[in-house]
Amino acid sequence: MASLKLEHIKKVYDKNVVAVHDFNLEIKDKEFIVFVGPSGCGKSTTLRMIAGLEDISGGTLTIGDRVVNDVEPKDRDIAMVFQNYALYPHITVYENMAFSLRLRKMNNEEVHRRVCQAAEILGITEYLARKPKNLSGGQRQRVAIGRAIVREPQVFLMDEPLSNLDAKLRNQMRAEIILLRKRIDTTFIYVTHDQTEAMTLGDRIVIMKDGYIQQVGTPQEVFETPRNLFVAGFIGSPQMNFLKAKLVKSGNGYAAELYGIRVPLSEEKCALLAKNGTGTQDVILGVRPEHTQLVFNQTENTIEGTLRVNEMMGSELHLHVDLADGTSVILRIPTLDLTEEQRRGLTYGSKLRFTFPEKVAHLFDPKTEESLLFQEQ
Amino acid sequence: MTNNANVAAGQQKLRSKKGHERRVNGTIYTVLTVMSIVWLVPFVFLVLQSFRSYKLEKGGMVDYLLPKHFSLDNYAFLFEGSNFFSWLGKALIVALVAAAVAAVLIHLCAKLLDRGEDSHGRRIALIGGSLLAGFVALVAMTMAMQGFTLAGSWKNLAISLLLYALAGWIMARVYLKQDSKLLRTIPGYVLEDKHQGIKKFCAMFAEFGALALIIQCILAPMTMSQYVRWYGNTLTIALFTAVIQTAIVLSVSYSLSRLRFKGRKLIMNVVLILGLFPGFLTMITLYFLLKQLGLTQAGAVPGLILIYCASSGMGYYISKGFFDTIPKSLDESARIDGATRFQVFLKIIMPLAKPIVIYTILMAFMAPWGDYVFASYVAFGHQDGYNVAVGLYNWVNTNDFQNYFTRFCAGGVLVAVPITALFLALQKYYVEGVTGGAVKG
Repeated sequence: MASLKLEHIKKVYDKNVVAVHDFNLEIKDKEFIVFVGPSGCGKSTTLRMIAGLEDISGGTLTIGDRVVNDVEPKDRDIAMVFQNYALYPHITVYENMAFSLRLRKMNNEEVHRRVCQAAEILGITEYLARKPKNLSGGQRQRVAIGRAIVREPQVFLMDEPLSNLDAKLRNQMRAEIILLRKRIDTTFIYVTHDQTEAMTLGDRIVIMKDGYIQQVGTPQEVFETPRNLFVAGFIGSPQMNFLKAKLVKSGNGYAAELYGIRVPLSEEKCALLAKNGTGTQDVILGVRPEHTQLVFNQTENTIEGTLRVNEMMGSELHLHVDLADGTSVILRIPTLDLTEEQRRGLTYGSKLRFTFPEKVAHLFDPKTEESLLFQEQ
Repeated sequence: MTNNANVAAGQQKLRSKKGHERRVNGTIYTVLTVMSIVWLVPFVFLVLQSFRSYKLEKGGMVDYLLPKHFSLDNYAFLFEGSNFFSWLGKALIVALVAAAVAAVLIHLCAKLLDRGEDSHGRRIALIGGSLLAGFVALVAMTMAMQGFTLAGSWKNLAISLLLYALAGWIMARVYLKQDSKLLRTIPGYVLEDKHQGIKKFCAMFAEFGALALIIQCILAPMTMSQYVRWYGNTLTIALFTAVIQTAIVLSVSYSLSRLRFKGRKLIMNVVLILGLFPGFLTMITLYFLLKQLGLTQAGAVPGLILIYCASSGMGYYISKGFFDTIPKSLDESARIDGATRFQVFLKIIMPLAKPIVIYTILMAFMAPWGDYVFASYVAFGHQDGYNVAVGLYNWVNTNDFQNYFTRFCAGGVLVAVPITALFLALQKYYVEGVTGGAVKG
């Protein structure tokens, strides 16, 4: 159990390839932090620097109140779960889990107590005498986690632990990690490229791209107030729709004009825009698919489009709609909101109209790609 | 109808394909059989000649293949003047008895411990006691076998006691460690079923026996014949080279496979290029260097060990290739688990790399075992420094070729024995892959 402090952490490969730029983050004790981002964004590199498997090219890393830049991994008191499990194939599950304890010269009773306890938590007691190759993927993953928890480490690192599992098992293990976290209350750092995992597991999410932190915040925060276009597009599935719009003055406040409709913005947003010194300009207006509504009778103040694809997901429909200028938009409509007749009308090539409430609109500057509505907490 | 016809045609085709396959296989097998016979003929000839008595059927070149009188004369000649067999017999008996006594005692202690309460002190006391008993048994047996002569000198006594103490210390460490597995009295997870118990017992027996044997070999004097001396030289050289070279090769290839340091690529390239020059180019230089160190002629054995081990790091390619296939995440995982680099190497990589370790040992053993060129010029006519190859060659070269030929054959057969045994014992590791289940797959 410890807090971590990463100050100006940098990773440079071969003197010119920079994998992580100036990474600053403070992780509180017992916090569950998730690093998320597309592949190659530096999240795994950062984790491996925390683990001590990669040298830190610049900056300081503090665990507890000890600077550990040059401390060997074995002395950092961390445990790590690898994507490919990395179980030792030549020894049994029991010995796999006991390995780190034996290296610490712990006595047998204590080793046994800890291994059995961990095995019980993870439900692998009956496999203890087996070799890893006789286990299924999910079981191996449990062993890998078990090997980490017997250590009772200060910090628990997980490098995409679920990405090798099939979808059903992944959901199950995700739930188990949440339970596990409740049981062994310690600091977790979890790397994933899957935004669902990030949203469900993390106390805070660190979204990264190209070696830069894009945004740090609770799942709620990054979902509701994305800092820039990348975060807006990365969090949420299907991803946010981006529409070209124009910001105009209207009375005391602002309004957004797009595709022939005019969306007057609320006072709250206007205040933020005014504070950020935004004038009349082109903007990108972001709307999440689930916040759109189909409109059937009224034609004013709605956007028209042509239906390209209709994906029936059971409880909802994903409609891929092309707008007049060719922009593609996805609408996510609950099936129950539509009558049978309306649903049947949604065929390829049919025209439809949709709208969205003002309060769900996000505004981004097309040049800097920053949010115009973001304010530091 | 057409369907049936199609099926029939298909079967026809299949049959003709099968026939073709059979013909090809037949040809291949025939060729291979002929080739292996051609290969084997010289060996068969050699073995047959070794049984032709040099006393009764004189001559190197005779016009018949099967000896007229099968006899062991040639072999007897090799050991003439040496007490090798009685020495070996005594050593074996000592080793067996000592091992049996020690193993039984340790096993009894283990059983006792199994039942009793588990306290650390008690355990150590019992195991220590059993070890002491084994130790005493060992000393007593050795002394009995040598007729209670401590060779009169206090120095000998001191040395032997020191050796036994060392052995006892090693065994104590080994068994204290094994004990943790052997005696683990764990409900739900007990390794010790009957089969395992017997296996453990045998392992203990073998280890203790080997130790006793080594001690006995060091302590008991042996008079040598020429051949036994050469054989001993070869064995010493090959064993030392095998151990040292394997250690060097494995650590070099592990470092090149896992560590990233400056000049790594450069070293690999330079070694590759240097490796293109034949080792014989250095012969003259090496001889002068060894001469200055006093490691030629009488000192040929250590000199040769030095030569064979000298550039062994250059043979890293194959084992590096093997290490590269062991997932790196195993290393990383072990390092996070608290292992040092060396512990990773020893506890994770070595067990996984068993096939390549064995391959390396075999290669390192075989090269000096069969070497002639280096061995002949380093010994430079000094008979006590010969290895078997040089010695045997000198028999047929300088002595009477006609007379010594069959004895030469017998010597050759004995040289082949350990290599053959090694290969038979270790061949299964050649093909065994043990990385299964390490990572997803």
